[in-house]
Amino acid sequence: MNTSRENQRGSGASAGMTPLGDQVRERQTHGNAPRDSQHPGGAAQAQVDPITTEIIRNALVAATEEMKTNLMRTAYNMIIYEALDFTVGLLDAKGNTVSIGLGLPMFIRGMSDTVKAKLRHFLGPDAVESGHSAAVSDTAVRDAAGQASFEGLQPGDVLLTNDAYLTGSHLNHMTFSVPIFWQDELVGFSSCMAHWQDVGGTAGGMTTDIYSEGLQMPIVKFYRGGRLNDDLQRIIGMNVRIPERALGDLRAQIAAVKTGERRYLELFEKYGRDAVMGSIASIMDQSEHNARAALRTIPNGIYEAQSFMDDDGVEPGRRVPLGVKVIIEDERMTVDLSGLSEQVRGFYNSGETAGRACAQVAFKCLVAPTDLPINDGCFRALDIVLPMGTVVSAVKPAPMRFWMTYPMTIVDTIFKAMSAAIPERVIAAHHADLVVTKISGRHYDGSLYLYTGGLIGGGWGAKASEDGQSATIAINDGDTHNSPTEQLEAKFPLRVEAYRLRDDSGGGGRFRGGLGVEQVVKVLNELVFNSQIERVECPPWGLFGGLSGAGNQVAIQRADEDPVVFPSGKVLSRHLREGDRYVLRSGGGGGCHSPLERPLAQVEDDVRQGYVSRAMARRTYGVVFDRDGRALIEPSAKLRELMRRARLPLDVPLSGLPRNEFSVASPVEDFPQAAGADPEALALLKEAEAAGLYIPRCCS
Amino acid sequence: MPVSSQRIAADVGGTFTDLAVFDESGARLRLGKTLTTPAEPVHGIAQGTERAQGRFDQAAYFLHGSTVAINLLLERKGARTALVTTSGFRDVYEIGRINRPDAYNLFFRKHRPLIERALRFEVDERCGAQGEVVIPLEVATLEPIALQMEREGIEAVAILFLHSYRNPAHELAAKQFFSARLPGVFVTASHELSQEYREFERTSTVAANAYVGAGVSRYIEGIDRHLTAAGFPGRFLIVQSTGGLFASNRARSECVRMLESGPAAGVIGTRALCEAIGLDRAIAFDMGGTTAKAGIVIDGRVQTANTVMVGGYAEGLPVQVPMIDIQEVGTGGGSIARLNAGGGIRVGPHSAGAQPGPVCYGAGGLEPTVTDANLILGRLDASRFLGGEMPLDAAAARAAMADKIATPLGLSIEQAAEGIVRIATAAMAHVVKRVTTERGLDARDFTMVAYGGAGPLHAVLVARELAVARVIIPAAPGHFSAIGMLMSDLRRDAVRTVFVRLGTTAATSPFDLFDQVFAEMEAEGRAELALADVDIEYGADMRYVGQEHAVEVTLPVALFRERDLAAIKARFDQAHLQRYGYASQAERAEVVSLRCAISARMSKPLFEHIEAGAERPAAQAFRGERPVWFSPGGYVLTPAYQREALLADNRIDGPALIEEHASTTVLPPGSRLTVDNLGNLLIDVVAA
Repeated sequence: MNTSRENQRGSGASAGMTPLGDQVRERQTHGNAPRDSQHPGGAAQAQVDPITTEIIRNALVAATEEMKTNLMRTAYNMIIYEALDFTVGLLDAKGNTVSIGLGLPMFIRGMSDTVKAKLRHFLGPDAVESGHSAAVSDTAVRDAAGQASFEGLQPGDVLLTNDAYLTGSHLNHMTFSVPIFWQDELVGFSSCMAHWQDVGGTAGGMTTDIYSEGLQMPIVKFYRGGRLNDDLQRIIGMNVRIPERALGDLRAQIAAVKTGERRYLELFEKYGRDAVMGSIASIMDQSEHNARAALRTIPNGIYEAQSFMDDDGVEPGRRVPLGVKVIIEDERMTVDLSGLSEQVRGFYNSGETAGRACAQVAFKCLVAPTDLPINDGCFRALDIVLPMGTVVSAVKPAPMRFWMTYPMTIVDTIFKAMSAAIPERVIAAHHADLVVTKISGRHYDGSLYLYTGGLIGGGWGAKASEDGQSATIAINDGDTHNSPTEQLEAKFPLRVEAYRLRDDSGGGGRFRGGLGVEQVVKVLNELVFNSQIERVECPPWGLFGGLSGAGNQVAIQRADEDPVVFPSGKVLSRHLREGDRYVLRSGGGGGCHSPLERPLAQVEDDVRQGYVSRAMARRTYGVVFDRDGRALIEPSAKLRELMRRARLPLDVPLSGLPRNEFSVASPVEDFPQAAGADPEALALLKEAEAAGLYIPRCCS
Repeated sequence: MPVSSQRIAADVGGTFTDLAVFDESGARLRLGKTLTTPAEPVHGIAQGTERAQGRFDQAAYFLHGSTVAINLLLERKGARTALVTTSGFRDVYEIGRINRPDAYNLFFRKHRPLIERALRFEVDERCGAQGEVVIPLEVATLEPIALQMEREGIEAVAILFLHSYRNPAHELAAKQFFSARLPGVFVTASHELSQEYREFERTSTVAANAYVGAGVSRYIEGIDRHLTAAGFPGRFLIVQSTGGLFASNRARSECVRMLESGPAAGVIGTRALCEAIGLDRAIAFDMGGTTAKAGIVIDGRVQTANTVMVGGYAEGLPVQVPMIDIQEVGTGGGSIARLNAGGGIRVGPHSAGAQPGPVCYGAGGLEPTVTDANLILGRLDASRFLGGEMPLDAAAARAAMADKIATPLGLSIEQAAEGIVRIATAAMAHVVKRVTTERGLDARDFTMVAYGGAGPLHAVLVARELAVARVIIPAAPGHFSAIGMLMSDLRRDAVRTVFVRLGTTAATSPFDLFDQVFAEMEAEGRAELALADVDIEYGADMRYVGQEHAVEVTLPVALFRERDLAAIKARFDQAHLQRYGYASQAERAEVVSLRCAISARMSKPLFEHIEAGAERPAAQAFRGERPVWFSPGGYVLTPAYQREALLADNRIDGPALIEEHASTTVLPPGSRLTVDNLGNLLIDVVAA
């Protein structure tokens, strides 16, 4: 401890650089309120009146909202401006989340852990609370004797990293942070992660290590004391395929963090340091108390559940098991993720931070869904058990491009575990995939384009008291928008022939799962099609006797032929010509309680609206109709009674495709070795790559 | 024969109907206020007109704004409506934009379409993005749909076909068919309302129009009948959400253009006031019982927006028509203060509304509200509320405040009340920032014009929060929207989506297309206004190539006449810089939509002058003193004045209260007021 303090002094000796490490430590020894209130039951020390606290709380929410709007409206890539794949936030001087904008829920942990890693890197390991979190790569600079030295932070610094094992996600998540100083004291951070459409890396197919996934930027100062580090800018420019886009997004991100810094400092000017710091402590305490109050209403116990992913994209059809355990003990929740599969060979891994995010997202949804701002006080009552080396705590060099897929199912599995404890607050499984495609195509004039297709929304699970929502973005994302058909047809030689709800896709139940969506796209000029869609064979499950919904699906229809449905959603580099079509289908949500209990009037309306076909109404709900579409009371009651005795309807939780109803691609076709199975695709890809237009990506 | 020289303006709101009558022969502006009569709104209008000594048989104009359309939407009391749309797309209306803003709430709900799925019919027809016909519409295929509509008892039909913003031919043909085939049914097509891309937003717009169409038509017919019976010889005009006027028969077919007519008229009133007293920048701040709203006026122009979400962002239905950019927060006099489980205090968004209302109304409200807080602090007078028509129960307000807020937080009743007002004030300051700071404007450069029943009560506090130096409380702040209507012009807005990249070579000059589109929009506007003397404003929604969101840029007509691409690009760079803090001069820009607003100036009443007095208000203006609680000192003996008795050049230093029929202006310690010769209260929020 003393050693590191000496080191900070030594290394931070250049002019104009205050020994910030000392200040951080000083505040700690002076008993700063936020620290003391860390301890459960400890009262807030700073006596800030509740009125000022509430005013500052509103101001923090408004500040992160403004950062969000700013970034969204100035970004250059659709993944930021429509998919809103970014997170903005304000953090305290220790890197704890004070307020993060409602962006990408699954990044709820990533921003804070990344800022903490930056703090450790520049100020030393004591700059953050010990024993807290993750992201433990030792990034310290060491001298010849192995002594760590720390540069310190100063006003005007802009810190950057995309280290996948720190952010927990893929390399596309460039995270910028500025340290905020008030009268020479480090008082917090303004930070922004946003998804860049391209960070270099290999162009097509499956990756099996991080090195093939693109540029890895360690923790660096992109600006040092207000001066741009041009070397870094040039390194980035050389490593990405469309530098002007990347740098456009970079500018938008820096503008957003500067906005956050300005608004944060305005609060210090207006209310004074102690009022702001004290209010932040109170806000975190309030969130903690809210969470504990909710936890008290959950019966103590150990709750477990398991689910499966289809496969890891390398070994087709080999299920990936996901076991979770939740322990409720008075006012604490422990989420134990030891039962998750170990990290996989394909690029579906994520880092420890993502694993912790799974637990936090589920925790927030269950105990404090509408508490704002989203802050770390809320999570003081949450413990997480997460050994290294699982699919959400993968270690280097595990590939991570599709980091976001598995966590969505893990969150659903936590809800499933908790269904025994708090049936009225959980939700049946949702489609749990972004259902995106990556398309590299050719305009009529021969030029090439890149398009992240899909992102069509899907079905959400029913609750114990209401039907599931249809056609809504998966839990990885929040305020994500789809692309208007009129816009995408104006941009690309594609014609959307249908964008509709997928009838019969919602899991049957007294409360029905929401419906998935189908998008049929006709190709007007050649393109290469890729998708990495999961949960095709392991569809969303129901709860309390409700049935599973339909799984996600992808199909390709060659001109004038029948559609070919892929038993896996992983379609690598298919070449499509004019007149071909691709079809994306998102799954429906699981149902709740037996479908035989659904009131006839509701089944009748489902059939009238076409959400449920007559055939399904009979088979699943035990309802028969007259010619005019009226449910028949007596015959339905009889049928339902027979079905009950025969323990019908059957649920098919790991169904896969009803293979007899579709023509199905052969397994060999499903998993071409990289793009090798399709020479025309390979040729177009090569051309696109040469033109800097082939982006090996994916998701939102 | 009477001279048709009156102009009568009626603003029908949820609670009150406000009338403003202006006599062009030079008589004064006269005002009337009555309770809205929801069953027969025309009764309230008639009664209010009488109170304001208006006579329809002597009126040249009847100007009207109403919440009828938005209430039909919010209360879901519209017509049984069907949608006719492109094959494969009937669910677009239900799918929406798939977003989940309330990201951690497992009980979130999407928007609920106005038209059930069974009544959304698909037609085999298709246009492409360039407007080219891919599948021609066979009108014969519409007949089975019409039959089914008859069976279903459909009262209104909305038509949306993909890419109709580029080629409306199929929508026109379908509209013609259904209008002829289903007499008495309200038929509306999306391109009549919006010629911008985004099929969900356009579907929602046309569906809303169909849904409220029959109700709005009946409403307007009802007023028409009354006007005819009263011998009204003049023109009946409706206020649009842009603040411009349009003919009542146009309002019957394009109902969604009048959704926000009341709030828009307030901003127009602010603009007129700016003109009258020579202000170039003003914040229009309107606070009522349930919400506070803010808009801005810069150099005589109001700022416009494209879309409103009716019913809020998360679950609302978008309506994509031009309107004044007004931001809103759920903070009003009726906003309820509550404690949460963690011990934090929240003010709003729950509102006691008009029923049961604040605790002090004595109508069953049990939770303290912002109005209760103001009463406890002495800023409202229990016996003079609404001119004494409605005595308030201060003891009940204090008891509720003690019980629900003060005791649990360990505060005195006054501290709790003052805290609630401060929280509300900060929230309202944020809504002003959304139209200033977040647009790259500095609120400190603006004067705040405050109106609405609760606006004058909080205006100085909100201004201090924003470091705005000066506040103006106009004459009759409770009637300001009705007065604004008298200040409005006839107006037609058109927007057309054209995706055009701005090249740099003459070979790719986009101006031929621009000229053609502007000429069309202008011709339509002129035909509609039927007046030769018009003002024309051009604009474009622009973005850098690669961006999605566009910035609206005001562009002088001359730049298009001169085909000055560089100047257009420079204006866009400037707008982007102002709004987002950076611009990229080197990057190419593209036009997403062209905008054209045509207005025909109407002659307007002048704000009337009041008599001048001494610096010290006359004795009859003084209504006595009472203790009023101000932070940080606590109770201060504060004089109250009667506004009607104040004269020009009167000066009053805070603390003071200025009371009038429907409103009280609070002048906290340190602020200073001067009455100008139009009867406006000019307040320096921090005395020099």
